[in-house]
Amino acid sequence: MSGQSTVINAQDVFANKQELEWISHAKNGDRRAFSQLYHLHIGKVYALCLRMLSSKDQAEDVAQEVFVQVWLKLEKFRGESKFSTWLHSVATNTVLTHIRKQKNWMQKVFSIEEQPHMEAAGNEIQDLSDLDKCIVRLPEKARIVFVLFAVEGYRHEEIANMLNMAVGSSKSHFHRARNLLKEWLQDE
Amino acid sequence: MNKSINEQELQTQIDNLSREIQPERDLWAGIEHAIEHKSQQSATNSSVSGKTKYSHYAWAASVVAAVLLTWNLNSPMLEPTSQLAAVDVIQQQYTEQKNTMLVSFGKPDLSKLPEKMQTQFSELQAARTSLLEALKDDPDNANLLNLLQWTQSQELSLLEQLYSPKWQTI
Repeated sequence: MSGQSTVINAQDVFANKQELEWISHAKNGDRRAFSQLYHLHIGKVYALCLRMLSSKDQAEDVAQEVFVQVWLKLEKFRGESKFSTWLHSVATNTVLTHIRKQKNWMQKVFSIEEQPHMEAAGNEIQDLSDLDKCIVRLPEKARIVFVLFAVEGYRHEEIANMLNMAVGSSKSHFHRARNLLKEWLQDE
Repeated sequence: MNKSINEQELQTQIDNLSREIQPERDLWAGIEHAIEHKSQQSATNSSVSGKTKYSHYAWAASVVAAVLLTWNLNSPMLEPTSQLAAVDVIQQQYTEQKNTMLVSFGKPDLSKLPEKMQTQFSELQAARTSLLEALKDDPDNANLLNLLQWTQSQELSLLEQLYSPKWQTI
């Protein structure tokens, strides 16, 4: 048990060292090193984008934008936190900025918010889990709050701040999302 | 009426959600293209923000026009001079940059742009022409030269925003 744990730790240390090397090279303009970082993290970034945006096409576009932003901001990464944590923060901000920029954002939020997404990405992508298929069908704000809280681990206070809403509203959207998911998952 | 799964079952499914979902296509080519494009953009025009809104161009042209008007009213009559080297260099660089850019965008027909865009181009070009006229009288005026360069960069930036390839579609 102890031996196995040592091997795993050694692998983690090596992977971390390798990642730091790629970051260092990427900071100096090495795109091949940056492509290694892309391949290492694209799965997590795309998952966040897809769940938040519920559209395969938009998720692809925004995932690309995330990595362009990371490239442009890489100099600001000082290594005080883990790279994955910093990347996650850039990704979340990029997704939220994209949503805000959408022309019909206000309309979506205030008028169509009550309507679940019946034609969301769940049907476009075959390999999604049942829960993911239901998440992408959720109404926009309920979906965003649910993903940020339940999947990404943000607190309601942070979510309220990011989405410019009351903490109580964030909790309310979350409970609505949970209730819809429980209902839909029963039907699956 | 449908029955729901319970809280614990939902939580279990949440806990088991995959942390990663792979996109169905490789997005790297588009990212690399965008990075390349941004690098060229910052190299050719580091002072211009890529996020400038179109409406800023009209504002920029207005500022130039206002400065020129003030300058014309306040400046003494100067003898014409043949020393136009700085202006010539700036103009030449601008023309080369614009031509290169237009070729790289496939020589687009600017006359087919929406009327609003054409108006913004016209305003910037009018500002540039006025500045060139003013520089004939005062070729060493650093402020005018700076304004000329700035106006040119706004025009190039507008061109770039209108015609640069959409990397997301790659």
